[in-house]
Parts: sequence; C-alpha cells; structure tokens
Amino acid sequence: MDLLQLKSLHKTFNNFCALTNIDFSVSEGEIVGLVGPNGAGKTTLFNLICGRFRPTSGKILFQGIDITDLKPHAICRLGISRTFQSSRPFGRMSTLDNVLVGHIFGKGFSLHTRPEDREMAHELLEIVGIAHKAETMADQLTLSEQRRLDMARALATRPKLLLLDEVAAGFSPVLVKQAIELINRVRDRGVTLLIIDHFLNLSLKVSDRLLALDHGEKVAEGPPHMVMRNRDVLQAYLGLRHQDEEDD
Amino acid sequence: MIQSTSIKTFQYEDKKRFTADRAGLFLGFLLLVALPLLVQSSDYILQVFTHALLLASLALAWNLSGVSGSMSLGHAAFFGIGAYGSALLSLEQGLSPWLTIPISGLFATGVGLIMGLICLRLRGAYFALATLAFVEIPKVITDNWDTVTRGSLGLVGISGLPSLHMGRWHMDFGSSIIHSYYLVFAYFLILLGIVAFVFRSNIRLALQAIREEEFAAESLGINVNRYRLLSLLMSAFFTGVSGACYAHLVRYIEPGLVYSLHFSAVPMIFAICGGRFTILGPAVAALVLYPMDQFIFHPLLPAGHEFLYGAVLILTMLFIPNGFWGRLRKT
Repeated sequence: MDLLQLKSLHKTFNNFCALTNIDFSVSEGEIVGLVGPNGAGKTTLFNLICGRFRPTSGKILFQGIDITDLKPHAICRLGISRTFQSSRPFGRMSTLDNVLVGHIFGKGFSLHTRPEDREMAHELLEIVGIAHKAETMADQLTLSEQRRLDMARALATRPKLLLLDEVAAGFSPVLVKQAIELINRVRDRGVTLLIIDHFLNLSLKVSDRLLALDHGEKVAEGPPHMVMRNRDVLQAYLGLRHQDEEDD
Repeated sequence: MIQSTSIKTFQYEDKKRFTADRAGLFLGFLLLVALPLLVQSSDYILQVFTHALLLASLALAWNLSGVSGSMSLGHAAFFGIGAYGSALLSLEQGLSPWLTIPISGLFATGVGLIMGLICLRLRGAYFALATLAFVEIPKVITDNWDTVTRGSLGLVGISGLPSLHMGRWHMDFGSSIIHSYYLVFAYFLILLGIVAFVFRSNIRLALQAIREEEFAAESLGINVNRYRLLSLLMSAFFTGVSGACYAHLVRYIEPGLVYSLHFSAVPMIFAICGGRFTILGPAVAALVLYPMDQFIFHPLLPAGHEFLYGAVLILTMLFIPNGFWGRLRKT
C-alpha cells in the first residue's frame, strides 16, 4: 500500500516553474532519499506535501486521502511531520517544551500537560541524545543539537511519514554516522522517511530508494546504486554531457 | 528523576524555588487587602491604587494576546467600546451594571473579531501599526454618531459601580472609594486567576510556539490562525470589561479619553517592563509604576510626568528584555 502518492504535481512561482509533472509514491516502511542539485525543487516538494504551499496543479494523496488543499496543521494531524533545512527551534522555550508542543498538538489537543506527556517528551530527547539539555533554552543549543531537537519535535507528533530536510548538511563524518543510526532507529519505530540529502552523504547509506530531481523534473528513481549511475543524474551533479551549458 | 527535572522547565509551575518572591507576593497581596485601613485618611491614595488595579487588569488582558507575539497598539478600541457600551446600556436602558459590564465585554470581543480578521494577517510592526490605526474607526464613529453616543460631548452621570445584596449582607460598591477599590480588586483577582489558568494550560505552549516560530508551530499541528484569534478575543473581552469598570468608576467618559493612545500604550508598557512571558509581571509593573508616576513624578513634573513610562520602557528593552519580573524569576 502506498503511503504517499504524488500525482502529476506542478508548482510555478510567478513565471518560474519550480516543479513539473512529478509522479511518485512512497510505500509504508521505506526510507526514500530525495536528491538533486541546488534549486532542483526538493524543498518545494516538501512544502507542497506539508501544505505550506499549494500545488499549481496535481494531487497529493496520503493513505488514500486527498491532502492537496489541507492546511499544515491538519496535515500534521493526519500523520506527516517535517524538519526544516535551517532548524527552527522555539528559541525562548526550553528544549523539553519544544518537544511538548509537538506531543500535545500533533494529534489533537489536551488542555493540561500530564506527567506522562513530559515523560514521553523526555524519552524522545533521550532517543535523539539531548536529554541532558532538557531544561536549556532552545536558542542556546548547538547547530547539531538543534537539528536533533527538530527531529525529536517532529517525532513527538507521532508521524507515519517523517520528512527530513538536510538533516546532515555540514555534519562531520562522526555526526553523519550518528545521524544514520538515528534514522534507522526512527525507521524501527515504524516511521516512513523521506529525506532530502543534497550532498548524498546520508541517503546513499540509508535509503531503500532514491528520487532524483533536476530543474523541477524527475530525472530518475530507483535503488541508490541504479540512480547514481543514471546519466541524467550524473549530468545534473557533475555536468558530464553538456559541459558548454555550464557557461550559461 | 525525570519528574523533578521536567517540573523545573515550567517557569509558571515552579513551586519549590523562589520562596523569597512568593513571600514577597504574599506580602504585596496583604498590603493591597489592608490598604484602605492603612490610608483611611486619604481618598486620593486609594483612588490611585484603584486605578493602578484597573491598569493592572488591562496589562494582564493585553498580555493574553501579547504572549503570542502580537504587539497590539489598538487595545484602546476595546477599552472605549467597553466603556461606551456599558455606560450607554445603563444610561439609556436602565440596566444594572452587573449586566452591562459583561455585555460590553462581548461588544469588545465583537470588535476584536473584526480587528482580528483584518489585522491578524499582519505580523510584528505591521500588525502594531494596523491596530494603532484601527482604533480610529470606533473613535470616529463614537465621536460623530451624536444621536446615540452624544458625540464629543461625552457621557455624564453614568451610574456608579453596582451594589450587591446577599441575604442580610449589603454592599454598595459605588458608594465610596473604599468599596469601589474592593470591587476592582476582586475583578483583578478573578482576571489574574483566569490568566494563570490560561498560562498554565497548554494554550500557553501554542501561543509561545507561534510567537517563536510560526512555520514550525503550524507544521507541528497548531492551528495558528485560530490561536492568534482566540488570544486576541480573550484579550479584547477583558479589556472591554476593564473599560466598562472604568466608565462606572469615573462616571464620566468622552471619546478622546477612552479611545486615547494612553489605554493602548500603557498596558503594553507595563507588560513589557514587567515581563511578557510571566503571569504576574504585567500586573506587578502596573502596581509599581502607576503609583510611582502619580505620587512622585506627577507632583514634580505635572506636564511631563508620563516620561517615566517612556524611560522605563527604553531601559527595560535595553537591559532586561524579559522584563524585571521575568528576570527576577530566572535568577
């Protein structure tokens, strides 16, 4: 059963065509890497799935439900959660409160925080490895801690599908390794993942499948080693075929 | 272990630390209760503190929307509607202020809904400016709708604060300043209780999250528009009720008075100085700064005494952006 289906998605900003005719689907339990050079439309695709932008045309189905016109908070409640390319913590709130927001509002609303809510939030902080910073204000965290917080917060909404936007960009090899472990742990909790990975330092190792975009078009999809041998992908990343076009 | 660490993260629920400022609060509360006995000879002092309590209520009400990051400069619209609504209903229809005060709170909520639908599309300084301009709409209408509002003549002879009969016990809150003082004090305490309830509930989490990172908040399941509107409406209701209390307390109102920038700016200044992220901060600031203004700066500088507010606002924003109460609670 397909968890997420994208049906001939188009998105134009003014006259700029950000995404053209994207057809793709993600099955339950998969880890899918979304790769492509700068400006390929990866983050735009995320914003469409999460409801921040509406597609110009096309449909997005989640578990068979049409979510194309839903607002972000409604989409979150259905089970899609995301992190941000540049993490957006609630700066003047404690790390634990940040996670609590996801826990409390991600699947409905309760007027008061119960002790078990806090335990859940604390547990998520432990999973991402920043439980010792529970009381720290989120704007005091380091970049890598903020990314972990972003992820804990997104997980707190109990998503079925988690969209990770550049989780490991700028990470050292050690941190990338930790991120990979974390992603596998998240998958083991039954979460399907769609990962934007511009530098390919992560998706090649964890993904079951890759979706490659270039200039808003799908250029390839399939197992990582296949996609990475695709001529269009190589050209997009390395410019093999039309070297003269690079002068444009 | 988990319990103990997580409890501390809740600024508003910390019951173990800050015993010193809890004692201070209790002392302040006792002082306010006993004030009429302490200053029996002076109606003036009592009048000032009655107003201080009313301003403290305004600051608390303002902060209900302020905590979500909406820096409104338009609360005079709610204040004025509350004052005029209650005054006109009691003057023209002869209704008891017990009825007209909450009804005019609902009027203010209605105005809040209109303001919200228009202005909440904006953020930050744009929101502040739009709300500042918004005040002019009810003001101009009140000023010119002579047949209903008596225009710029204002309203005189508004009934005083109402009286209460309970069995053999009888209290006429309008009969003297002492009685009025206690009624305003009671209203202040009720509002404080409501604000505390809201700030200790998860509504606060939503409002803070919206203030800090709106996009993240909505992607975590928070209906941003609904919460921003909800907080503005709550704020408008209690600002309207405070305006109504003001009308029955002072018993004379005119458009230029109740729709003045004073009633928009002063609650905001108190909230910022006291601490926007705390329950009590705005109220404490009002109860400290307003008497200070009236007793010290007004005699010294009759024409320019309100410079105090400007100066305190600038100093707080420069040196203690979380407000002095917020600062106190952290150390």
